[in-house]
Amino acid sequence: MSATSIRSRHPRLQLAARVGAGVVGGYVFAWGFIAAGMALMSKAGMEFHDAEFVASALGLLLWLAVLLGVVAGRRNPAWAWLGLLGGGALLAALGSFVQSTMA
Amino acid sequence: MFQNFRQAMAWLHTWFGLVLGFVLMAAFFFGALSVFDREIDRWALPATRFEPQPMPSFERVLRPAFERLQPDPALVEAMRPRVDGPMPERFDRIAYWSAYTTHRDPVLAIYAGWEVPGAKNPDEQLYALGTIDPRDGSALRDDQLKIGSGFFYPMHYSLTVDWKNLGFWIVGLAAMAMLAALVSGVVMHRRLFRELFTFRPDRARLRSVLDLHNLTGVVALPFHFFFAFTGLLIFASTYYFPVGHTQLHDLHELHEKHEAAALGLPHGRSGVPAGLANVDAMVAEAQRRWEARGMAGDVGFLVLQHVGDANGYVSVYRAGTDRIALVGQGIHFKADTGELLREDPPATPAARVAEFLTGLHLQHFRHWLLRWLYVLGGLSGAACIATGFLFFVEKRKRQHAARGSQGARIVDALAVAAVTGMVLATLGILVANRVLPEDLAGRGDWERWAFWGTWLASLVHAAWRSAPVARGLPNPAWREQAWAIALLAVAAPVLNWITTGDHLLRTLGQGYWPVAGVDLSLLAAAAISASAAVRLGRKARAAAAAAALREAEAGQGEAVHA
Repeated sequence: MSATSIRSRHPRLQLAARVGAGVVGGYVFAWGFIAAGMALMSKAGMEFHDAEFVASALGLLLWLAVLLGVVAGRRNPAWAWLGLLGGGALLAALGSFVQSTMA
Repeated sequence: MFQNFRQAMAWLHTWFGLVLGFVLMAAFFFGALSVFDREIDRWALPATRFEPQPMPSFERVLRPAFERLQPDPALVEAMRPRVDGPMPERFDRIAYWSAYTTHRDPVLAIYAGWEVPGAKNPDEQLYALGTIDPRDGSALRDDQLKIGSGFFYPMHYSLTVDWKNLGFWIVGLAAMAMLAALVSGVVMHRRLFRELFTFRPDRARLRSVLDLHNLTGVVALPFHFFFAFTGLLIFASTYYFPVGHTQLHDLHELHEKHEAAALGLPHGRSGVPAGLANVDAMVAEAQRRWEARGMAGDVGFLVLQHVGDANGYVSVYRAGTDRIALVGQGIHFKADTGELLREDPPATPAARVAEFLTGLHLQHFRHWLLRWLYVLGGLSGAACIATGFLFFVEKRKRQHAARGSQGARIVDALAVAAVTGMVLATLGILVANRVLPEDLAGRGDWERWAFWGTWLASLVHAAWRSAPVARGLPNPAWREQAWAIALLAVAAPVLNWITTGDHLLRTLGQGYWPVAGVDLSLLAAAAISASAAVRLGRKARAAAAAAALREAEAGQGEAVHA
């Protein structure tokens, strides 16, 4: 069964998957962004709590933008799930890696 | 899925608004009340109705009060399984003693934390808080509910649902929905500027409700966005994205050690006992230094770390009464000698932005006009969401009636509970506060139950009276609950008068604004609610007459045909 037929047969499921990707996937992606941002800014010499604040503020706005973008998107929401969870995990791993080079 | 971006935004606006709007109503309404949380505390705790006090003397007032503090036995018991060995009889490994006050606090809240010997997680501490009269240091009962700062205030950010921090997450998600609703609302409406000046109360109900929704949304758009965003930001690193406490905990620890080394402030205990020099002398020295900088001021926050240990130090922070930051200009002294350790340098640009955003949200500075504008902003947010519900119902009511669907009826009943019900619950707790006996055991719990009980009763009433909505008519619960609000909002100041003797003539005569202000606000709410009830009554009668006329005409038509 192709993605198009799922879309037309289960519009509600499709919508739930889209909103879920925006909220949950967006959260995971924002977490990764904040972790990577905090670690990189600390590495670059910024004070820890300053880096935490700047990364959190940008991360929240990023979550909002992702949520709006994913809900309004045209593509299959599976791509959004994949991209956001994968991207979030990669960014979080980058954060942990940068931390390991400093401690 | 959606034909275009605008359509997607319209869907998001409607459904996110509907599902999380109920929570947002509470965040905005109780946030608006929290602007005057300390004043509401004065109303609810008559023994604390006196003028705000500066930070008292440590040696004379604070020290004996701190020495009396010990953790609550229930907390000690709860921690026992996470400790190797027995719990001490008396906790004396003091992690911190602290006191925070503002220009609006007559009573002083004090805090203490203890390290627990043998704790499996050495970071886990026991804590206690107390409330004292700063004039003489006497302990005030701490089992009384501070309805403003201890109930309405946490209601606006956590719904007082503390289990697994669930309340914080629900409100956080609602704040995110608010941001999404604001952006999508702006996308949906092209004529933003015109909506600032458009309100047509005489038009059809649907149109005037939408006008009001747009007006309250657009007029205070920056306010709504700012509060939803900074609300999320204030808790981001603690609850929503605790990256520095989890994933990047090691980096956080590293930073704290570096900072301690760079600043000359010790990190952790040394284990070597030491005395405590005169703290009042340190406070006086800090104030002298602020004055030398041309910014003489009061102490807002006083904190003693590792009391009784050679690594102990005392930090004195200036109250932010005349600036946006809550506190600042920290000066630190070595606890056992009183020697100056360090003066905080000017804040970094990022820290200044953080201070500005959080300080502007929490508003502990002195500016009464702005304080009232915050209340208006918060209420306009609540009005925007309430009119959003009404628009949802009005738009669908007739279609649903024709189809026999119950959707509009259910949403309308929930809207009654979220709008008039929330106000009734607020009045319910204030009335309960005045009628419950002073020495009732668990009085604070009874007050909370009065709040939730009134709210539940309002929902039941709204559901019970909702049948007309399924026929496309208004729910009479709106009008009936508006009358109930008017009644309770008059009862509360009258009960305040009867139980404390503080009637309006007296409080106004004495210029005691915390209590006079709450009483006047209650009476204003009663007047507004009564006038709304009268209008709703008039409309209901007109609608009933029109319906009767239609039926009569239909009857005549049938007679002619027969």
